[in-house]
Amino acid sequence: MIQQKIRDIAKDLLAKKTVDLIIGFGEGTLPLRVTPRFIRSPEKVDRLIWNSFCENNLATYFHKFSRFKLGLVVKGCDARSVTALSLEKRFQPGQVFMIGVPCQRMVDRRKVSRAVKGEILQAREEGDLIYVKGDEFEVSLKRDDFLYSSCQACTHRNPTHADVMVGDPVEESPLKESYHEAKEFEKMSPEERWRFFEKETSRCIRCYACREVCPMCYCSECFVDSSNPKWIEKSFSPSDLQFYHIVRAYHQTGRCSGCGACERACPMEIRLTYLTQKLNQDVKDLFDFETGLDSEVPPPLSTFEIDDKQEFIK
Amino acid sequence: MKLRLEKKDFRSFLQGLIETYDLFAPVQLVEGVSVFRKIDRPEEVDLTHPNPQKPAKDLFFPQSEVMLRYEKAGEQTSVIPVDEVKRERVLFGARPCDIEAISTLEKVFVGKEYTDVYFLEKRKKTTIIGLGCNHPLSTCFCSSAGGDPFLRAGSDLFFIDLGEAYFVELLTEKGMAFQKNPFLKEANPKDLVLVKELEEKAFEKVGFSIPIGGIEKRLDLMAESAFWDRVHEGCIGCRICTYLCPTCHCFDIVDEGDSQRGQRVRNWDSCLSPLYSLETSGHNPRPTGRERTRQRLMHKFNYFPKSFNQVACVGCGRCILYCPIHFDIRKAILWTSSKRPKAF
Amino acid sequence: MKNPYLPIPMRVKKATIETTDRMLRTLELSFLNEEDGKNFSFVPGQFCELSILGKGEAPFGIASSPTENGSLRFTINKAGLVTTALHQIEEGSEIGIRGPLGNGYPIELFKGKNVLVIGGGFAFTTLRSLIVYLLHPENRPKVKGITVIYGARMPGLLLYKEELATWQKRRDLNLVVTVDWGDMDWKGKVGLVPNVLEEVAPSSKDTYAVICGPPIMIKFTFPKLMALRFPYDRIFTSLERRMKCGIGKCGRCNIGHLYVCKDGPVFSYAELEKLPKDY
Repeated sequence: MIQQKIRDIAKDLLAKKTVDLIIGFGEGTLPLRVTPRFIRSPEKVDRLIWNSFCENNLATYFHKFSRFKLGLVVKGCDARSVTALSLEKRFQPGQVFMIGVPCQRMVDRRKVSRAVKGEILQAREEGDLIYVKGDEFEVSLKRDDFLYSSCQACTHRNPTHADVMVGDPVEESPLKESYHEAKEFEKMSPEERWRFFEKETSRCIRCYACREVCPMCYCSECFVDSSNPKWIEKSFSPSDLQFYHIVRAYHQTGRCSGCGACERACPMEIRLTYLTQKLNQDVKDLFDFETGLDSEVPPPLSTFEIDDKQEFIK
Repeated sequence: MKLRLEKKDFRSFLQGLIETYDLFAPVQLVEGVSVFRKIDRPEEVDLTHPNPQKPAKDLFFPQSEVMLRYEKAGEQTSVIPVDEVKRERVLFGARPCDIEAISTLEKVFVGKEYTDVYFLEKRKKTTIIGLGCNHPLSTCFCSSAGGDPFLRAGSDLFFIDLGEAYFVELLTEKGMAFQKNPFLKEANPKDLVLVKELEEKAFEKVGFSIPIGGIEKRLDLMAESAFWDRVHEGCIGCRICTYLCPTCHCFDIVDEGDSQRGQRVRNWDSCLSPLYSLETSGHNPRPTGRERTRQRLMHKFNYFPKSFNQVACVGCGRCILYCPIHFDIRKAILWTSSKRPKAF
Repeated sequence: MKNPYLPIPMRVKKATIETTDRMLRTLELSFLNEEDGKNFSFVPGQFCELSILGKGEAPFGIASSPTENGSLRFTINKAGLVTTALHQIEEGSEIGIRGPLGNGYPIELFKGKNVLVIGGGFAFTTLRSLIVYLLHPENRPKVKGITVIYGARMPGLLLYKEELATWQKRRDLNLVVTVDWGDMDWKGKVGLVPNVLEEVAPSSKDTYAVICGPPIMIKFTFPKLMALRFPYDRIFTSLERRMKCGIGKCGRCNIGHLYVCKDGPVFSYAELEKLPKDY
């Protein structure tokens, strides 16, 4: 079982002192939730778990724990973030040990909550069913009906460049077309697109959870905090909210692994991944590059070649 | 005074309020997301979501508020304060936890020496209609924090959903102004029985299991505990818990504009942000997540009680529901007591 | 009801660069409305939030003494957005202040006692206020001996040079000015403040110490005060923190349950011992 294998590998790594710290997932206090776990000694590895709710991208903790040799439990998307970070020279070679888990696709806990009437008090996963129980209901739901949209289109479920793989690789058989959210968005007219974007960003409360969960957002001074020059105000004019989201999406170009952590973190459930998907799609089309697959090739917007394509410069 | 409002009259009742007051009520933005907002039509009110993401503090201490405007004409600069509230307001549908939090905020904003006129004006000109919690969530721990799901304190009127009607209690002078309201009829004895049943059921559900009592003294002994090295690990330093917390009150003041015209604005801020206490010299008294997380928890459960004899937490559970990494403040509180779990 | 966030309008009467590195500028401000001036009463150690509309506000200790009627003096170190604007503002321009804020030095405690003032660098601003206040004929008899030790890195970085020169000539004050490094014209003492304190060795009997300076100076001077047997409750300091509201509402400048803006900025070491070390 994947969970036991993760524990065994973690125990081994800590016992041999290959890493100082393992960051994985642990049981949450609420059903359908997990919380990051920080394990420093082999005796404590049985706090690590694995299930379809391990939705966070743990690569984001790298910046906080950069003094340590880390063992990170990573899914396909998380592993790509780690590779992207290594290309940006965020850590020394050998400093991050990736415990790669071929991903079974993560379940959207909000979708599950909305499928029932009332609060879910207990939940358990068994095979491809999720059993949920509340005060006035007890139902089983098909796991595959509740997957995250980004997980349905994923073509890199097997972590690339993992130092160890937990379990056999899974078949990359996406359930939806790649970049499908961006493609859906592109079907709208410019006016419809603007209205959609305006409506989504109008809910923003500038909590910056999207920025903090993202492994690629690590600037010591984010553009929103710069006062000289001041790019953006701190209050709530619609244009400031829109500016924040557009610019943050742009800063992800060629760097975003599509893990969806931003959207999953947002308390106001703002749609965000359609923007980064569009930018990832453009990078694929223009530069034949997908984040975090190749551990040698730097991201296209970090370098230039004389014969780079230029048609988009008008 | 104990009255009832038939559900069929609910919209007309709200319409009556809209005509006289600025009415604020929970509004759904998208499925599962609601906030307190000024409404123009009764249909906008949505009570399906148990508790709106943004707490009722937004009405008295808005997330972004213009404090003053300035304009330079020649050599003269005129400064115009924006501290008046023109129309009386009604807040409908706030839960007892949010309302209790307003009293907590009052302790900070209305002081002996300085009074925050922006907060006070809004507070004085608002009638609060509280709504009891028939179905507290598993994340609610209001009773442990000194409140309860049907706490009347702080409300001018109190509504309890009985199914076909609302039980309505007029509690204060502002509340008694509603006694002649055409839609409010006298409550009947069956209503009172049902209210008691609902209250008992809710109290039982919430329980008293979170050891907030005595936490100030326990934390006095923990100032340099190794606990702080662990508790902050998962925290990514976003601001969700702070912004959605009904009692958090930290704010930033910034100027927007140029030398000719502009405004001074205050916005919510969070002590969890690294920039919060960063000085221009580069020195930061709280340089890492360890110090910042300690500050937040100590402020809520140790510093605030030292100044005001109560904790700065009402047990609403929003921080537990919306934290992206599922930090559970109840675990932290349990850890300070003898009931500490095996693992943090 | 008075809105505590509204600035009092002032005019920049005079602006002088204090130091040779041009990083410190003293502004002398006068009240635009006489009424405001009459109602403004403060004690040494208090501060004001200086407000430049469009840029923001920042807290500065009042460098002038309440005994100096009329204008208020502030010495500003150029460090960020607001302080740069304060360095650029011209004489005659309008500026705002909010204050007086904070608790000030415990003058009442100094009655009948000796006062030892130790200052370093540009932290000397509120100490100037305190010294001028104590030297005023009405106040001087109320305290016994006054010893001042003031150090800067170099002679050009000393504040209030002209004033220091007149104070040197006074007999009712023992002023020792020192620099870390002298220059060709410097005829005075050369030595770090902690060492000068050791040399001067003022008695701690019936003496209150007030110390303001950069953290490194305090770090090395404090043990010397301990060696001289100063008890914690007779050593006072003025703390600095990032501030916004200045009136204890915005939550930013707290140390434990106390706010530096409202319960400070002046604290005794006895008080600080009981608080978390968030500073």
